[in-house]
Amino acid sequence: MSTHFYSDDERSGSIDLRLWWNFLRHLKPYRRWAFAMCGFGFALAIVESLIPPLTGWMIDEAITNGATEDLLMMGIAFAVMMVFFALFVWIFILSAGRLATGVAYDLRKGCFERLQELPFSFFDVRPTGWLVSRVTSDCSKVSDRMPWVLLDLFWGSTMLVGICTAMMLIDTGLALWTMAIVPPLVIATWFFKRKMLASSRNMRRTNSAITASFSESIAGVRTTKSLNREARNLEEFGTMAGEMHAHSMRNALQAAVFLPIVAMLGSMGVGLALWQGGIRLEEGTGLSIGMLIAFMEYAILFSMPIQELAARLADLQSAQAAAERVQGLLEEVPEIRDGEEVTIRIEEQATRPRPGRASDGGDPEVDTLEYRGIGFHYKPEEPVLDDFNLRISKGETIALVGPTGGGKSTIANLAARFYEPITGKLLINGVDYRERSLEWWQSQFGIVQQVPHLFSGSIRENIRYGRLAASDEEVEDAARRAGAHDFIERLDGGYEHDVGEGGELLSTGQRQLVSLARALLADPQVFIMDEATSSIDTETETLIQGAIDEILGGRISFVIAHRLSTIRHADRILFIADGRIVESGTHESLLEAGGRYAELCAGQFTASDS
Amino acid sequence: MAETTGQFSAIWRLVTSERRRYVLAFGALLVGTLLIYLIPLVPQAVLDVALGSEPEKASGISRTVIDWMGGPQLVADQLWIPGLLIGVIAICAGTCVHFRQRFAAIAAQNIAVKLRSRIYDHVQRLPCRTMERQESGDLLQRCTSDVDTVVLFLSEQMMMIGRATAMILVPLPLLFAIDWRMSLVSMTLMTPIAMFSFIFFKRMRENFLEKDRAEGRLTATVNENLNGIRVVRSFARQSFEEERFDDRNATHRDLDNRLYVLMSRFWSLSDLLCFAQQGLVLGFGLWWLTQGSLEVGAFYFFISAVSMFLWPVRMSGRILAELGKALVAIGRISEILDKPVESEPEHPVEPEQLDGSLTFEGVHLNHGDLPVLAGMDFTIAPGETVALVGPAGSGKTTIVDLLLRLHDVDEGRILLGDVPIDRMRRDFIRSRIAVVMQQPFLYSRSIGDNIAITQPGLEQDAIETAAIEACIHESIRTFDQGYETVVGERGLTLSGGQRQRVAIARALVQRPSILVLDDALSAVDTHTEADILEAIERRRGRHTTILIAHRLSTLQKADRVLVIEEGRITQEGRHADLIRQDGLYRRIWAIQGGREGGAA
Repeated sequence: MSTHFYSDDERSGSIDLRLWWNFLRHLKPYRRWAFAMCGFGFALAIVESLIPPLTGWMIDEAITNGATEDLLMMGIAFAVMMVFFALFVWIFILSAGRLATGVAYDLRKGCFERLQELPFSFFDVRPTGWLVSRVTSDCSKVSDRMPWVLLDLFWGSTMLVGICTAMMLIDTGLALWTMAIVPPLVIATWFFKRKMLASSRNMRRTNSAITASFSESIAGVRTTKSLNREARNLEEFGTMAGEMHAHSMRNALQAAVFLPIVAMLGSMGVGLALWQGGIRLEEGTGLSIGMLIAFMEYAILFSMPIQELAARLADLQSAQAAAERVQGLLEEVPEIRDGEEVTIRIEEQATRPRPGRASDGGDPEVDTLEYRGIGFHYKPEEPVLDDFNLRISKGETIALVGPTGGGKSTIANLAARFYEPITGKLLINGVDYRERSLEWWQSQFGIVQQVPHLFSGSIRENIRYGRLAASDEEVEDAARRAGAHDFIERLDGGYEHDVGEGGELLSTGQRQLVSLARALLADPQVFIMDEATSSIDTETETLIQGAIDEILGGRISFVIAHRLSTIRHADRILFIADGRIVESGTHESLLEAGGRYAELCAGQFTASDS
Repeated sequence: MAETTGQFSAIWRLVTSERRRYVLAFGALLVGTLLIYLIPLVPQAVLDVALGSEPEKASGISRTVIDWMGGPQLVADQLWIPGLLIGVIAICAGTCVHFRQRFAAIAAQNIAVKLRSRIYDHVQRLPCRTMERQESGDLLQRCTSDVDTVVLFLSEQMMMIGRATAMILVPLPLLFAIDWRMSLVSMTLMTPIAMFSFIFFKRMRENFLEKDRAEGRLTATVNENLNGIRVVRSFARQSFEEERFDDRNATHRDLDNRLYVLMSRFWSLSDLLCFAQQGLVLGFGLWWLTQGSLEVGAFYFFISAVSMFLWPVRMSGRILAELGKALVAIGRISEILDKPVESEPEHPVEPEQLDGSLTFEGVHLNHGDLPVLAGMDFTIAPGETVALVGPAGSGKTTIVDLLLRLHDVDEGRILLGDVPIDRMRRDFIRSRIAVVMQQPFLYSRSIGDNIAITQPGLEQDAIETAAIEACIHESIRTFDQGYETVVGERGLTLSGGQRQRVAIARALVQRPSILVLDDALSAVDTHTEADILEAIERRRGRHTTILIAHRLSTLQKADRVLVIEEGRITQEGRHADLIRQDGLYRRIWAIQGGREGGAA
């Protein structure tokens, strides 16, 4: 396992207070719940730290005065306090829940909406799985912990202060003796929690490597078998499982030392209180037996808030990387978006619609599309397009052919504004497309890809994605025209047949037909077929040639294909190599010219052979 | 086939192989629990016997403890003695806790490592058929999170059950010896608290599963959206997608919130019940204290003891819920381990070398009720290049699967050389046949490692030679880290054509007797395709080549073409012959432009 582009590593650095402070603004809509939670946590801590001396007082009262009315009253008060205690617990968990789930919802929504706006260049360099965990696990990691961190900060510190104050008020000397366990407790907690944080981080990292390894063995089962990789894979997996063993053992042993130490320190506090308190009791310095018992209870109680505080700080630290990533995603500014002017025009059109206009108030028809002096690259050192010029009118079909990596798909991607040109302009009816609404422009497109993506759900739903308002008849009509109807009818459940995740239950060819139907239904003004028929067998392709001609006709169309049978009917064929148009013309004229296109045809049509 | 039964007990066997450590862990648990209850006994004895006004009324145990420390007088004068004793007991108890956790952890982690490797091994050896029938997400969950559940149970929850039981049972004799009335009072609400806990965690679990499913749907929605982001954008369906996501997001939030609501009810009510229990101890204790029939030390002991065993009682429902979860996980893992793995012949024949010839004799294969291959007969001579062509679903890829024994024939037989393939070991066959699939799978490691995957330690020169032959060398050189670039799931995403070419290089490195390209050039442009085929042509004589393809340019490179329709060979011959016959081949040729090539 060498370098990973995007790993889920948590950093072990210190807590970044500014990041968390900024994060607090996500609590704003829920501030009432946050205040309620903290307030009740505070009240709870006060009640909890008052229990031991109250119990002690009652014992003293019982011993010295017997069953007095005071004792009874105190008992009743105690009972009432407990009812309130339970009530507080109820309210603060309820508030914590509202807070945690509400913030999680908002963060997810924010992330998802941001992902809908970001350009493809953002997705090109980030694996999908990595992005998915940003929206799902990172968001819940942060939101699940925030309320408890807040709560325990209040509860824990109040509790600590409360216990110390109460002890000091009862007997300062004995309080200092009992509190002798606090420094070692704090040191042990700090020391071990840090170590355990590191080892559990290693555990999680190894665990995700193990998951990845299983996932690979399942996805690549045929390859593994055909390459006889089983033994070596198992060996590598064994190493990983061994690593997991080592990390888990380290973590478990750390816990096996830490937890007994905490318990031990508590008991030692009891011993200290008994020793020093007993002496005071004998000397009759004013310490009562009930208060001595209260001190012994405090000694046990001490470790609770300290441990909770330490655990929350560790949580904060381990959620920090997640918080940073979520924040980073939320703050990501889409490079491609509507300019201010365009936004204003969209609003104007929405409030005072002018009939016969597009949503941004512009011309709704696309008559011409022009590439003017376009330069583009994904990486600066590798230019893809350089001073590219092309003008296409409505009704024209342009075929793009040429070697892999020559820039064919880039030309189409630029048209759809999935990327924007680095130099030069793209003009719609003579207007720079940056001056038009992004949403309007992109909804004018129909794109069929080489490996088309379908959404899980029925075939009907997938075709209807092209036009959400389409009726069942229209859906079926589109399928018929795309040549998909026959195979759909033969499937189990016909149009209701589930296509599986990403369409995996259909063959690539079937998916291409469905996506063709989807595009037909959308009836777009600009159409792009990117290797769209590569997996449809030649005969079927001929069958749907009529549908393809219909799709391509009456609008601006781009066809990218390796198979020449798909493109020879195009109005213009452009041979693209090294980001330039090398040859341009009709099939016949290019063949006659005898250039690179003709050479390509010779390879495929075997003209010389027959 | 031998390993078909008793896998449930296989997990049990793994546990029993660590039984010595578990016995030690439970021993440490018992001793530790006893010691923990001894701690409040010391203050009790000191308060009642050494410092108390009426030492004769103290319980027998208290007097024994004081006598053991050197008598009431000495203890009263030297109060550090009980303090120190508490310290010593605490250290012993802590040591017991440590060993309990240590032994349990070692045992559980040893089991974990064996269990994980065993499942991995088993999954790798499952037949393709079995794998195809398994939903891959579900299978992955069984292999990973179910195993985690079992390991967590073995390392922690099992000890928690033991600890809870011990915490409740161990102190019983002690409690009754000190004061039987107080003992009964201390246990009044135990049953209701335990039952309440049980009911709650059962409901909690149901709700949790529901939330889990909602989370799964949420993740799936995001995943699909991102995978289909091009479709979303090209139909400008962002707001539709946002609505769909929002719907799931809100459902998830509400279900998650319901868990908090349940939790808030449980914790507040069980707090109340526990307080009531403590209140009873306090009330009765105080009453008997004023009556003079209970000593203050004993009273302290009961207050401490109740707070110690209330916690496990309160958590008993959770422990049972975890037990249920672990049993389900064990069942799910066992289902996988129960599935039979690929079988090997008992007395395998291992020819020294395969000459690359192969024969299909009347091969039939059905998928469910549908015939996939319906009597396939053909022979391929050593070193020959044969192309297979036919419509999708006609059975071309199935031929490859059968050849590799990824599936087995229903009828007929397949021979490599003159040996039937079911007489040879699978790994032998697979090491001699290299297959490149249409959508090849690359491992998540460097490109160089991927190419050399069958020959680890292969020299860089050899890797590059194969890459040059597969026309991928130039592309690799443009990557930032060249051959060291990591690809796949956690690395660079290669285009379909690049993946195909890397897979071809990988196959060439294998030096096979038979090379199969299963539509493996579909995403490569025709120019590159010609170069690759030429490179393969140059290796002629070193291996038999089978080309499955749609493109004429590929098909015409073959010595012979087999046309396959509906699981049968319908035409056979050279390209030049086939275009003169009526049939599928001529139609394909005509469609792909043959007519313009001059024949028509």
